[in-house]
Amino acid sequence: MPQFESSFFSSLIFWEVLSFGILFFVLYKFAFPGILGVLEEREKKIKDSLDQAERHRAESERALKTYEAKLSAAAKEAEAILAAAQERAQRLLDENEQRMSTEAERIKGEATREIDHERRKAIQDIRNQTTELALMVAEKVVQRSLTDADHRKFADEALSALSKSHS
Amino acid sequence: MEESPLHPFELHNYIPLSLGGLDISINKAVIIMWVVVALVAYLMLRAGASRQLVPGKLQSLAEMLVDFIRGIILDTMGKDGMRFFPLVATLFLFILFCNLIGLIPGSYTVTSQIVVTAVFACVVYGLSLVMGFLLHGAKFLGILVPPGTPGWLLPLMIPIELISQLARPISLAVRLFANMTAGHVILGVLFGLAISGGVLIGWLPFAFTIAMNGLEVGIAFIQAYIFTVLTCVYLGDAFHLHGHDDHAH
Repeated sequence: MPQFESSFFSSLIFWEVLSFGILFFVLYKFAFPGILGVLEEREKKIKDSLDQAERHRAESERALKTYEAKLSAAAKEAEAILAAAQERAQRLLDENEQRMSTEAERIKGEATREIDHERRKAIQDIRNQTTELALMVAEKVVQRSLTDADHRKFADEALSALSKSHS
Repeated sequence: MEESPLHPFELHNYIPLSLGGLDISINKAVIIMWVVVALVAYLMLRAGASRQLVPGKLQSLAEMLVDFIRGIILDTMGKDGMRFFPLVATLFLFILFCNLIGLIPGSYTVTSQIVVTAVFACVVYGLSLVMGFLLHGAKFLGILVPPGTPGWLLPLMIPIELISQLARPISLAVRLFANMTAGHVILGVLFGLAISGGVLIGWLPFAFTIAMNGLEVGIAFIQAYIFTVLTCVYLGDAFHLHGHDDHAH
C-alpha cells in the first residue's frame, strides 16, 4: 500500500502538526470565542424572550380576570339599579292610583252630600210652601179667622195626613 | 490504461524541502492540508466576525458545526469538558474537511494516510493520559481496574484492561484510515470498471460510482463524528475516573 511508504512520513507529520497547530491557534484565538459568544447570547435571548412572553401572558391573564370581575360587578350593579327603579316606579304608580281613587271617593262623597242637602232643602221648601198654600186654601174654605195656634195645628194635621197618604 | 486501485493514494514530492536533515517535502497531501486549513479558517473566521443574532448562511453553517461539537462534548464530558472545546472542534473540523475534500475527484484524501490519523490518535490518547495523571496522580492507574472487581480477578483484569487501553489509539487511527481508504478503493474499482466497460455497459458501474460517492459523503461525516466522540469519551474517562464524579453527565 502506498500509505505505508515511510519516506513520506516525516513530511506528512511535520506539515500535519504545523497546519493543525496554526488552525487550532487561529480558531482558538479569533473564531471560537465569537461563535460561542453568539450562540450563548442567542440562547440567553431566546430564554429571556420566552420568560418575558410567559410573564406577559400571566399579566394579561390577570388583567383579563380583573376586567371580567369588574364587568360582572357592573352587570350586577346595573341589575340592582334596574330593580330599584322598577320598584320605585311601581310604588309611584300604586301611590298615584291610591291617591286618585281616594280623591274620586272624596269628590263623590261631597257631591252626594251636596245633592242630599239640596234635596232636603227642596223638600223643606216644598213643605213650607205647601203649608202656606194649604192655610190659604183652608182660610178661604172656612172663612173664619182662626188663631195662629189653631192654624198651625190644622196645618200640621193636614200635613201629616198628606205625608201619610203620600207615602 | 489499467491502474491499480491504490494508485490514488500514491504521493509524489512536488518541492523537495528539508529541515535540519528532516524531509519536509511538499506533496499533494500537504497542499490539501493547507487548503483545509484555509477553508476552515475562512468559514470560522467569517462566522465569528459577523456575530449576527439572526445568522446568514455561512454563519448558520459554522454555528451548526460548532453547536454540534458542543453537543457532543456536553453529552460525553459534561459542562467542564468545554475546556477542551477548541481542541475537539478543531480536530472535528480538520478531519471532516479532509474527508470531504478527498471526495472531490483529483484531490487527495489526507485522512487516508495512516500516519496522519495515527498522529491525531496519539495526540488525543496522549493528552488523555497526561491529563489523567495530572488530575488524579497515581490513582489514575485505577483506570486499569473496573470498579467492583474482586481481588482475585486482578491478575486477569489488569492485562485485559491494559490491552483495551492500548487498543484505543490504534483503533482510533486505523478506523479512520481504513474507512477512508476502503471507500476510495471501492470508488476507484467501480470507476475503473466504468472506464473499461465502455459506453455499452460502463454506465452501470458509473451509476454505482455516483451512488457510492453520495454514500462516501455520509461516511466522511460519520467518521469525523466517530473520531470526535471517541476523543471526547477518552478525555472524559481521564477526566472523571470511573465516573466517580456525579457531574459526569
